[in-house]
Amino acid sequence: METSRDYYTVLGVPPDATPEEIKKAYRQLARQYHPDAQEAPGTAMLFREVQAAYDVIGDAAKRAAYDRTRADVGLSPESAFQIRLQYSRDVLPCIEEEQVLYVLANIQAAQAIQRRQRLPLNLGLVLDRSTSMQGPRLDQVKAATCQLIDTLDKDDSFSVVTFSDHAEVVWASQAVNDPIRAKAKVNAIQASGGTEILQGMLAGLGELEKRRRTQAINRLILLTDGQTYGDEDKCLAQAVEAKRRGISITCMGLGEDWNDTLLDAIASRSGGTSAYVTNADDVSRLFRDQLHGLGTLYASDLQMTVRRSEGMTLKSVFRLTPYLVRLTLDQDVISLGTLQTDSPLTLLLELIIHSHPPGTHRLAQLEITGDVPILERRGERLRQDLTLDFTPQTPSAPPAVPPAILSVLAKITIFQMQENAWKSLEKGDVAEATRRLEAMATRLLDLGEHQLARAALLEAGRLARSGHLSPAGRKTIKYGTRSLSLTQGRSHD
Amino acid sequence: MIECPSCGRQHRPGTLFCSECGVYLLTGGPLRTEPLPESEMPASRADPWAAGAPATAEAPPATLTITVVANGRQIPLINTKECVIGRLDATRGVFPDVDLSPDGGLEGGVSRRHARIQQQRTQYFIEDLGSANGTFLNGQRLTPYLPHPLHDGDELQIGRIRLQIGLH
Repeated sequence: METSRDYYTVLGVPPDATPEEIKKAYRQLARQYHPDAQEAPGTAMLFREVQAAYDVIGDAAKRAAYDRTRADVGLSPESAFQIRLQYSRDVLPCIEEEQVLYVLANIQAAQAIQRRQRLPLNLGLVLDRSTSMQGPRLDQVKAATCQLIDTLDKDDSFSVVTFSDHAEVVWASQAVNDPIRAKAKVNAIQASGGTEILQGMLAGLGELEKRRRTQAINRLILLTDGQTYGDEDKCLAQAVEAKRRGISITCMGLGEDWNDTLLDAIASRSGGTSAYVTNADDVSRLFRDQLHGLGTLYASDLQMTVRRSEGMTLKSVFRLTPYLVRLTLDQDVISLGTLQTDSPLTLLLELIIHSHPPGTHRLAQLEITGDVPILERRGERLRQDLTLDFTPQTPSAPPAVPPAILSVLAKITIFQMQENAWKSLEKGDVAEATRRLEAMATRLLDLGEHQLARAALLEAGRLARSGHLSPAGRKTIKYGTRSLSLTQGRSHD
Repeated sequence: MIECPSCGRQHRPGTLFCSECGVYLLTGGPLRTEPLPESEMPASRADPWAAGAPATAEAPPATLTITVVANGRQIPLINTKECVIGRLDATRGVFPDVDLSPDGGLEGGVSRRHARIQQQRTQYFIEDLGSANGTFLNGQRLTPYLPHPLHDGDELQIGRIRLQIGLH
């Protein structure tokens, strides 16, 4: 849906054009569209449009006022963010019943950032060295860590903490001026003992705190292959505290035996991400991806506030990038995480629209706020109205839904079916959970996701016969469905 | 409200996909199920219940004896609800109920936690625990984590180690 024609667009000049450039563009267009010069229909209207645009932005005082209103909708040259909305329907029928509307929101960086420009990192690794890590697993993690050390810059701070029943600082937070010594320390890590994640988190966050700066990217990477017992709540409290201090946590679960619920919660509460690593060989690739992601970080602590009218309710919000996740709604304020310079953040909003009389109605105002450390700007904001037309006529044919929304919703539906299957299982309703997994497999086949469909069918079979799932199957389905959104729309890697 | 043509669930107008069965609601119609390519499916698709337990709820056999075919070692399991077959590895804290290391488990490709025998209702079931070299029941490789019923005289193969099952 296009907002009303932008005056700068009408004249074909950039928003930061000089008065001379504006005047020149106006003269050229005016000659071209002048009713005396052109007979073609529609040119008279174009001429009036050009005239109206020049009347405003050709005048210094009016232009300043116009720029201020543009800034509010995020069109000013200074705005840090851009947002584009797409609706499942542009016009809604006036009916008594509540109806559903889906809105796809694309948020992206509005300012170009030099490719090599990157904030210094304050990066901490917290590595599980419990007995189960022994052998190739730990070897791969050590190798990946050494590769990571080689890619750090002089300005970056780096620390490594290992944990089992207790935590040990392997490399205290500092710049890596002597990579050979750092790697020797990493290679000396030995596996033994249990898995107490809290110990590792406390030591890791302690190291990060020493070098914490607002003008740096503060990030903790937690890697584990096991379950922690009894300290889950304290781990979550630490994640919240870390976020308050501007540190986000990336969680990586290795193998099958780790607690996905806990690791996902630590990641989301701290504004970080989580990943499932089936094979230890993938650790170094994930470390590389992490470092690339940190290098292209644009905005952090991004939030969306939905100021809604009485006429609608926000049912759910999903973030589709970098993977599918249901966002928690806290009084219509939604924490969105981070925004990268090279890829937009995509959201899907599911709205319940109440009955409206015919006409155009403003249903809500979306406000995006966030810090853009790379531009040294904090509390950046952008507002966008959510406006919709209502008509008393009932449509003769089903409305055409934008393909982007359909493709996203097909995946979200499967994601929700998976969520519902786990819910049934928690309630103890094995039959319902089985049925939901089977229905999900059918949908996956429709999408051509044969591998994941097979995993869902196998788990449905196991569930029906034994009443429980295999730990690996559960994780394959969970992390497979949330990555469905990745199969489209990401072309840069 | 609009109704899902596939499962009959009611949704608000404007809903595009049924949350229960995942059908696209604007085209409707029954779901099309594509058969999976045979190569992607496990070899064994037999329903374990079909060949399984007798209908009457009689007491389960009290003793299950595992005999290692190669050396004749007998491992009796009396009133066992569940037992893990594997290879002991003290450094990693793996202590299976049935340890096949004395029978050449390491060379025979036995995983530390290889398979599990469980008693359910009146029947014993064997379940492969995602082992490296697989568990075979009477020559057929089992789908990991999918329990299959055990009968007197069945032959199990754990990696390369052959076992005979006795139920008395």
